[in-house]
Amino acid sequence: MSDVVSATVPADDAPSGANDPDTAHVSVRGVHKVFRRRRQTVEALRAVDLELDRGEFVSLLGPSGCGKSTLLRVIGGLIAPDVGTVDIGGQTPSVARQGKQFGLVPQTPALVPWATVERNVRFLSSLDGRRDGMHAPLPDPAVDELIDTVGLGKFRSAYPHELSGGMQQRVSLVRGFALGAPILLMDEPFAALDEITRAEMRYLLLELWQRTGTTVVFVTHSITEAVILSDRVVVMAARPGRIAAIEPISLGRPRDRAMEDAPVFHDHVRHLRERLQDQHS
Amino acid sequence: MTIEMHSQRDEVVVPGLDIEALLAADQARARRSAILRFGAPVVGVLGFFALWELGVAVFDVPRYQLPSPSEVVRHIASDPEFYVRNARVTMWEAGIGFLIALAAGLAAGTIMAHSLFIERAALPLAVLIQVTPIIAYAPAIVIWFGLGTKSILVITALVCFVPFLINSVAGLRSVDPNLLELARSIDAGRFVVFWRLRLPSSLPFLFSAARIAVGLALIGAVLGEFFGSSEGLGYAIKTAQARPIQLSLQLWGSIFVLGLIGAVATLLISAAERSLLHWHSSQRTPT
Repeated sequence: MSDVVSATVPADDAPSGANDPDTAHVSVRGVHKVFRRRRQTVEALRAVDLELDRGEFVSLLGPSGCGKSTLLRVIGGLIAPDVGTVDIGGQTPSVARQGKQFGLVPQTPALVPWATVERNVRFLSSLDGRRDGMHAPLPDPAVDELIDTVGLGKFRSAYPHELSGGMQQRVSLVRGFALGAPILLMDEPFAALDEITRAEMRYLLLELWQRTGTTVVFVTHSITEAVILSDRVVVMAARPGRIAAIEPISLGRPRDRAMEDAPVFHDHVRHLRERLQDQHS
Repeated sequence: MTIEMHSQRDEVVVPGLDIEALLAADQARARRSAILRFGAPVVGVLGFFALWELGVAVFDVPRYQLPSPSEVVRHIASDPEFYVRNARVTMWEAGIGFLIALAAGLAAGTIMAHSLFIERAALPLAVLIQVTPIIAYAPAIVIWFGLGTKSILVITALVCFVPFLINSVAGLRSVDPNLLELARSIDAGRFVVFWRLRLPSSLPFLFSAARIAVGLALIGAVLGEFFGSSEGLGYAIKTAQARPIQLSLQLWGSIFVLGLIGAVATLLISAAERSLLHWHSSQRTPT
């Protein structure tokens, strides 16, 4: 194991969010969530603590059923925790949601089939008139620029069924950013894509993120994806869903493809894989 | 097929591969499928009437039993004013009844789609309305609403109501759950979600209902005229039934005009569906 990695791994095996709670953009404290179904209970989240800085890119990494999607939705105010609190820059998640603080990018593109690309990327921001004190969506020219950035400039007037899966997911990505929300919640957005498209999408995402300065919570089960994208990777374990480790990634910014060949990258990948395997054995 | 495949083709330089010939073959195939799409139905319909014409001539069927189609058409042409006047009455009743059923079915479907309790409570009634033959309670409706248009509209609306109701519940519930969650993530209001997501998602279902309801609306209107009217194609059929030997051509003329009205209405609905639902998978021909 390289010096870089061992130096960044927290000594405590059940770490609490490493960042300073006073400056945190998102802070999750002591969150428990139990799902009940037909008298059976599943502990989706147990004692979860996590702090995210403004503009930070954090991945939630773990096997299926470890509660990463649940944690994402608890942060976004879509699922209420049974115990514990979530604070979004001084607001509760549901108040933050009313203030249009969140952009959600789901696993499937979930585009509106009757609207063109151009209308789809603006669909969410057009759904609701904004009242005072709410977060404003990106201005039109900025959204147009995002469409160009992801290479869909020629497909503005195409309908979703005319696009490939990768193109649809790019539309979904732009739609997430077009809200201009300070926090982006991404739930395995690239899971259904082929490996080559997926690799391209990572760098597109990084480019958009760098340009907008958004705080990102990114759910994934791909170790390499988590490492190349993130400032920190939160390793989660299943049954009960919990945070097993938090690993800061010591790669510089901006990230590029060459970094995927760097020893530091591979050290991180190896270390995270060991962490995940620890949870399984 | 994705748009990426539509980009201009590159020069292909593989020996033995004749792209032009393959493209020409594709075009020929497209022509054949177009002929199949438009030609086959025409052949079917014309063939049916030709066989009918032939059968009547060969077996010398008496006119009061079954006139030949050419006779029926000649009869309609001999008194177009009669058929236009009565068709107008029947079309008006069927159309208004159809629209009442659409509005009522959509309104009730909206309430049911938002409340599981109301849906569970109302569904047995809807099924009951549908399975009880309208002809059984049509006289009761005439007693309540009197002879004339009002009763006919109620009967027509009742027979069309259930398909619209069931399909609007299914359609309003058919929104992609991921889209609903996206709407929730920005705290979109119920009304906006209904107007911008649920209603457009329900259009394919409403069109299916409309295609069923066209036929039902005509049944309702004709039936209503049987019981409580002195005009319309249903009334023309009823009077012809009373004097089958003298008025057999009037019976068949009315049947022909009703069939024509139903066919044209169905074509119009299909055309509207094609232009409004071009984004929906049902409107794409398999390649």
